[in-house]
Amino acid sequence: MILSVRRNLSGLAVQIMNKMETGAPAARFPEWLRIALVGRNPKRTLIRAAVLAVLCYCFFKLFVFKFIVLPVRVEGNSMFPTYHDRGINFVNRLAYRHADPQRGDVVGIRMAGPSVMLMKRIVGLPGETIAFEDGRLLVNGKAIDEPYLQHHSPAPPLDPVTLRPNEYYVIGDNRMNSDRGRIDRGRIIGKIAL
Amino acid sequence: MKRAVQVLVLAALVIFGCWLWTVMFPSPEAVVRNRLNALAKTLSFKSGSGMISQAFRAQKAAEFFTTDAEIEVNVAGYDPVTMHGRDEVQQAAIMARSRLTSLKIEFPDMNITIDPGGQTAKVNLTGKADIPGERDISAQEFNFLLKKVDGQWLIYRVETVKTLSDMNVPGGGAASGLLMPRMSGRMPDALYRRT
Repeated sequence: MILSVRRNLSGLAVQIMNKMETGAPAARFPEWLRIALVGRNPKRTLIRAAVLAVLCYCFFKLFVFKFIVLPVRVEGNSMFPTYHDRGINFVNRLAYRHADPQRGDVVGIRMAGPSVMLMKRIVGLPGETIAFEDGRLLVNGKAIDEPYLQHHSPAPPLDPVTLRPNEYYVIGDNRMNSDRGRIDRGRIIGKIAL
Repeated sequence: MKRAVQVLVLAALVIFGCWLWTVMFPSPEAVVRNRLNALAKTLSFKSGSGMISQAFRAQKAAEFFTTDAEIEVNVAGYDPVTMHGRDEVQQAAIMARSRLTSLKIEFPDMNITIDPGGQTAKVNLTGKADIPGERDISAQEFNFLLKKVDGQWLIYRVETVKTLSDMNVPGGGAASGLLMPRMSGRMPDALYRRT
């Protein structure tokens, strides 16, 4: 059954190609539409399209998805409910090229390289003293509002930690179920795009 | 047209020659990388492998380490493990094989630094483990130190790197076991590249 369908389809393709090669107009399509779709010379159009497809693939695979945005899959629930387990997202590598990370930014943090990253939210900036008391974030001893939290999950207590000039403090939004800590600026790969 | 074909063939020959050169005379970095990939492959196993095969592969895994190797692994959600020497590595490999039905280990990112003398190497890598029964993949950063013994690169020290300074805080992370089953050593919210 499958074979016969294939044979019929290939027969149809041959007929169309023959018509195109002989210059006979296709019965169903007007000439202008045929030219718009496959060009005056279908063989050349096909080659051009194939070359273009390969170039686009290489451009995205070797450049865009390596140096501009990294496509990622989220594993785990430490950023729940802001980001869900198994969600697809992108890390914008250019976000911090001319600007520093800000409080509230969700960032991708590299381990040994960019193949596996941690996804956390920045809550402490360089030079600040960070603490968690009664589940609330204290920056330089003052409780601050965190509008980015969709659901307030109290964080385990943390004694005041003063960050060095190139350090940030990060934690997941699901604070009872998230690792947290200081990270160097160099570990931040980029900002979560979506 | 003929000229273009000649150029293409020449380019293909040059590329093939370069590839052959790297295969025949690999750099020390490439040797270390291949060695660690081989270790990951040896430590990985599928379900249904026999006892003899398991013992053989555990012994083979131990041969990647020096006789006085020191291994300290402290992964979130697991008890810290310290091993000394090949025998303990072999025992741990056998134990892992008896407890798990299958295991897939990969080292997707490796930063290799060879010392100027070419006798020791430091490797900062991400270890990724796919453990059956765990919904998520575990990932952890490690430092491996290797040295050349009789022309072979052997691991003499393994230590865990804490990517975040305060990992394993009380009540937080995988150590809490609030949403995860016990022994779930996954790294919460790890982002995996879709490759």
